[in-house]
Parts: sequence; C-alpha cells; structure tokens
Amino acid sequence: MTSRLWLRLTFVVAIVLLAFQVALRPIRFEGLIPTFQPPRVYLNLGLDLKGGSRLVFRALREDASVEDLQGVKRIIEQRIDQLGVVEPTIEILSRQKRIVVELPGIQDPQRAISLIGKTALLEFVDTGTTQLPPGAKWSADGKKVTLPGGQSIALPKNVKFTGADLQSAQAAISDIEGPVVNFQMKGEAAKRFEDYTRENIGRYLTIVLDNEVISSPVIRSTITGGRGQISGGFTNLQEARDLAVLLRSGALPVPMEVEENRTIGPLLGRDSIERSLKAAYIATILVIVFMLLYYQLPGFLASLALGVYIVLILAALTGLNATLTLPGIAGIILSVGMAVDANVIIFEKIKEELRLGKTLYTAIETGWRRALVTIVDSNATTLIAAAVLLWLGSGPIRGFAVTLTIGVVASMFTAFTVTRVFVDLVAGTRLAPRLEAIAATGGRARAAA
Amino acid sequence: MQQPSWDIIGNRKWGYLFSLLVIIPGIIALAVNGLNLGVDFTGGTFLDLRLEKDFTTGQVRQVLDAFGLGRSIVQKGAGHELSIRTRFLSEEERVKVLQALRGKFGEVTVLRADEVGPRIGRELRTIAILGVVIGLLLQVVYISYRFKSVRFAVAADLALLHDILVVLAAFSLSRKEVNSSFVAVLLTVVGYSINDTIVLFDRIRENLSLRAREPFDRLVNRSILEALVRSLNTSITTILAIGAVYFFGGPTIRDFAFGIMVGIATGTYSSIFTASPILVDWHLWSLRQKAQPAEARLPLVEPSPVPAASPSGGAGTTRPQRKHKKRRK
Repeated sequence: MTSRLWLRLTFVVAIVLLAFQVALRPIRFEGLIPTFQPPRVYLNLGLDLKGGSRLVFRALREDASVEDLQGVKRIIEQRIDQLGVVEPTIEILSRQKRIVVELPGIQDPQRAISLIGKTALLEFVDTGTTQLPPGAKWSADGKKVTLPGGQSIALPKNVKFTGADLQSAQAAISDIEGPVVNFQMKGEAAKRFEDYTRENIGRYLTIVLDNEVISSPVIRSTITGGRGQISGGFTNLQEARDLAVLLRSGALPVPMEVEENRTIGPLLGRDSIERSLKAAYIATILVIVFMLLYYQLPGFLASLALGVYIVLILAALTGLNATLTLPGIAGIILSVGMAVDANVIIFEKIKEELRLGKTLYTAIETGWRRALVTIVDSNATTLIAAAVLLWLGSGPIRGFAVTLTIGVVASMFTAFTVTRVFVDLVAGTRLAPRLEAIAATGGRARAAA
Repeated sequence: MQQPSWDIIGNRKWGYLFSLLVIIPGIIALAVNGLNLGVDFTGGTFLDLRLEKDFTTGQVRQVLDAFGLGRSIVQKGAGHELSIRTRFLSEEERVKVLQALRGKFGEVTVLRADEVGPRIGRELRTIAILGVVIGLLLQVVYISYRFKSVRFAVAADLALLHDILVVLAAFSLSRKEVNSSFVAVLLTVVGYSINDTIVLFDRIRENLSLRAREPFDRLVNRSILEALVRSLNTSITTILAIGAVYFFGGPTIRDFAFGIMVGIATGTYSSIFTASPILVDWHLWSLRQKAQPAEARLPLVEPSPVPAASPSGGAGTTRPQRKHKKRRK
C-alpha cells in the first residue's frame, strides 16, 4: 500500500468519524471531559412529521400598518402562551399583510385557530330597555342587530366600555351561573363603571364580543371597585377560560382572517415517520441487494460507501440545522437510488477499460477520470431543479429540495473519495482478481470470446 | 460489447409509436378533463378524518348536504378513514360540519386538514407555473450550453418535453391530484431525464470523435447499447428506492412517489427511444437535403467535444479499430 493511499484512507476515516459525531453525537463534550452517550438522531422535524398547524392570517383592512401587524403579533404570542405550545414561530409578512403562525405538536388545532384568530373586541353596550338574546349580531356599521331567529331590529351600538378598560380577567365556576369570567377594570375605568351603573339601574348593559352578544344582563345595583362578571353563553369551563385568555391578551388592533390552515394531526405525523423509515430501510436493502447481485465485490464496496453516504447526509442535515419533512425523507431515499448512479458509471467505465486489456490499476485510474465529467455534468441538472424548488417552494417542498441537494453533493463526494479508497485498498490485496471479475458482469459472451 | 446486438435505431418507429400511444390519449385526457387540481391550486378545504363508526359516503354526503356542500368530493379510505374535499370553509362552517359529523358518527379525529383561501390558491398556482417555467428554461439553457450543438440540444429538449407530457398524461389519466408537490415531481423528473440523456449523448459524441467513418445510425445504436447497462442499472436502483416509498411510505407521499417513478421510467425510455432516434432522423433528413453526405455529418462532430470525449490519450487510436472489428464480424 502506498503512503498516499494511507493518507487518503486516513482522510476518509476522519471524515466518517466527524460526520458520525455531528449526526449522532455519541460523545458529548462538557467542558473538556468527553462523556459517552447513546447515539441518536438530532434532526428538526417539520410540521408534517411531528404534527402541528401552520396558519396564515391576513389583515382584513388594506391599510393595516407594520405597527398594527406587530401589535397583532404580540397579542398572538400571548394567546399562544396560554395554549402551551412548545416553540411556536410567528412571522410577519408585512408586504402581504400576513402573519404566519406555526404551532408544532398542537393537539387541538381547532381551538388554536379560534383562540388566535379572534379579534376579541369586547364591548359593553348600553341597550337601554332592550334585552338581547345571546348570539344576536350587530351589523358592521353598528346600526342594527340581527337576532338569532333572523329578523333584524334597528338599535344603535352605544358602546360604554371596551376590553381595553379591563385590567384582568379570570375564568371561574359559579354555583348559580356555571362557568363565568370575572373581570377587574382599570382604576379610571372602574370609577366610570361605578358612576355609570349608579345612574343606569334597571337598564341593560349588553356584553358583546366581536359584534356578537354574549349576554345581556340588567344592572341591579351600583357596582363599586370595577369588578364584574360575564356569565351565560358558556357551555363549559374551557370556553370561559378561552374568553379570559382573549380578554387578558386584548383585542387585535386589526381584524384578521384565516387564509390558510395546514394541520397534520399528531397521529398522521407519527404514522408518516414510521412508514417513511420503513420505506427507507427497504429501499436501502433493495439497492444494496441489487448492487451485490450485479457487481459483486465492487458492489459490496459501493454498498459500504452507501453507508458512509447516509451518515454524511445525516451529518449535513444536522450541521445545517435543516428541517426534515416527509418529502425530504422521500428526497433522501430518492438520492440513495441516484447515489448508486455515480458508482454505476464508474464501474461501467472500469469494465470497459478492463475489457480493452488494461491492467487493474490503470483501469481504475482511467475509469474514475473518465467518469468525473459525466457525473458532475449529469448531477448539475438535478441541482438546477433543486435550486428552483429551494427558491420558490415552501415548507415540505423546500425540505425535499434541501435533502436532494445535500444528497447529490454527498453522492459525488462519496463516489470520488470513499468508493475510490475502498476499491484502491482492495486492488492491493488477494481480492484483486475479484475486482477484475467486474469485466465479466452483465453478459459473459464477449469476455469468453 | 457484452450486450445483445439489438437494433434499437432500426426499429425506432416502434419507439415513437409507443410514446405516441401514451402521449396522445394523455393529451386528449388533458384537453377533455384537464388535471385534477388539488386545493393548493383551486382553493378549498381538504379534510382527512378518522371516524369511530363505520359509515357510507352517502351518509356523509347527507350530513354535508345540510350545509349546501352536497357536491363535495367524499372518499372512504381504509379503517374508517374519510376524506372530504370541498370549497373553502370559514372557521365557523368547519366547526359546524365537524360537529354534525360527530353527532352522527361519534368521535371524529382530524388526521389532516388543508384549508386554502382563494387568494392563496391563486398565488400558489402562479408560483407553481413560474417554478415550472423557470426550471424548464434553466434546463434548456443548460442543455444548450452543455451540448453546444443545435441538434443534440433540440433532441434533448424534445425528450424533455416527451417526459413532461408522459407525466402529465399519467396524472390526467389516473385522475391523481395535482398539488404544490407536483412541481417538485416535474422538476425532479426533468433533471433526471436530462441527466440520462447527457450520459447517452456524451457516449455518442465520444464515439463520433473516435469513429468518424461509421454510419451515424449504427454509431448511435452502438452508443445506446454501450450506455444501456449504466442507464438501466441507475433507473433500476432509483425505481427500487422510490418504489419502496410508493408501496411503504404511506398515502400522504404516494402520489409524489408515483410521479417520480413514472418520470424516471419515461426519462430512461426517452433518452433511448426518443432523443437518440430524433438525432438519427434529423441526420438522415439533412442527408437527403444535401447531395454530399460527408458535409452533413460535419456539424455533428464539429462542436468541440467535452473533455470526456478524449479521455485516455493515446489509447484512443488503437481502441476504435479493435472494437470495430469485433462488432462488425
């Protein structure tokens, strides 16, 4: 074995060890003392694998400013806090007047949407002597009310207090009313509330959320201290809790609507991981079996290189902090199939050289050199496709483009370093004749001739 | 070499015919039915649910009818799974629909929900078209740069068009849903198809520079046979891999894997049975146009060959004759 081959072998081993450490972290460094830990995969999973929701909200007012959207973002953050979502992301797309919210691992996306997207404008409306049933809705201009039955009555919305006057809100269970929301008004508002209730005993102070009547209580006595209670209209404690959350976080400065909702339930996410892992194992085994059957010893060496290739991909994904999506896994599996291509091209060239009567060493050398241009050029087209997808695709598709790109680059790297070293190593041993046997694969007619 | 001496070029009309047998029904299907666009592009709501009890699509449709959604697409999957595709539902509407389903069939688990507003649907459609157009343009530019010869480039472009039509035909005929990931399918397939054509055309050019005297159609046929093993082996390993995704990867990714599988098969097919025969027919056509055959062949050899074409230095002078004799026996 030549010293250059030793050098290359050392290089390959070093790369593999480094990749293994990056991808699976078998050794943990705490300070200067390394400790061993069981190797495992450290990959970010996309929403389609771990389950979760991606929601796109759009401001309903065209003139919504960046400040408005930032206000919306702050409020949405507070509301999400109450949902107990780990690592949500909220992104403002100010030009499109959109806010993109990602909620990984959320169990109840329905509740999330209604909680996050509600404008939650709370109003206390003086409806005089009219009591309105829950569910009655004010028109947008605040001039008439449509009753649940369908008929509408003219009734101007005379707003006395709003959610902005609230200091705090808490859900509770009352013996008589069931689930309720207790609220506390801010100092100045509390004083106004006291004056107002003193002067309007016997009249109805209707509580309205986003133009919809929650309840329409009558003022029985002066309310001091700014304490009040919203009751009725809640079917369970959860609803009362959600309203309390909304009231605490305040109303959105601009009403928002859900424009896009992509939700993958936790069940489907887990299912996707399991199935795609299974597909990955089967794909790898099938490819290896094919290579062994067709190319025998060189096929075995290429399969070893494939193992290195998979570790390299994991390391690259982990190192780049990329997010793995379901199409991304498909991209890796696809690239496993395509990775073999470089080896196939090289082996076929070596085969030709051998059949021309070259020695094994010369055939290996020329085979690799002749294959280089073809491999680089042919992979360029896949990289072009991946680049466009990376640029224009979103979420899962971008994940596919990422793994495909990493896969193509890694496959070229392994074919030209790892497989080469393996083949050179074996060429210097007793097994060399078995390498030469490649010339006989794929039809023996000519070899015999 | 080792391959049987199939006369692929001599029988190229069968290759064309087979392509047309797929593409013409595909174009008709495209013209008549179009593509089955998913909610990504049309806007709308797609719900993938799991119900507690057994059900029939008719029962589900009854429930939907109450909301004026009777025309939704309702499908029953394995294990009490239900998928509904319908117009874009407001949050309120969706809650009510789910409540109604719960009322009738017990607990309903949402496996997946895709809701796309009409505006986003339009945007996604624009981005998809833009992506395909830009992707194809870049590939065509790359092909022109790579082959430098008009004939090779146009033949490769036609093979690319062939593969796109076949994949579109496959999706149109099978009524599989076309959504955002279809763009990824198309571009990947196109990349793969050109990859395959490049490897084959490089072989033709390599042989052209070594064996200028061999009739062009024979030379192409020989090149195809020489490149065949690589081409098939790569397709086989890739199809084995993506086939595993198709069969075991679950329903979410199945259509995606289907598209890539079809594309890889046609990508391999088109290099051999479309791109190369076009090259030959173009050559024969220009021979008939010109009196002097030798001149007509010149432009094929003339573009400076890629480095791969003159690989092993001195070996080139002895090699062609050896191979030549064996083959001609």
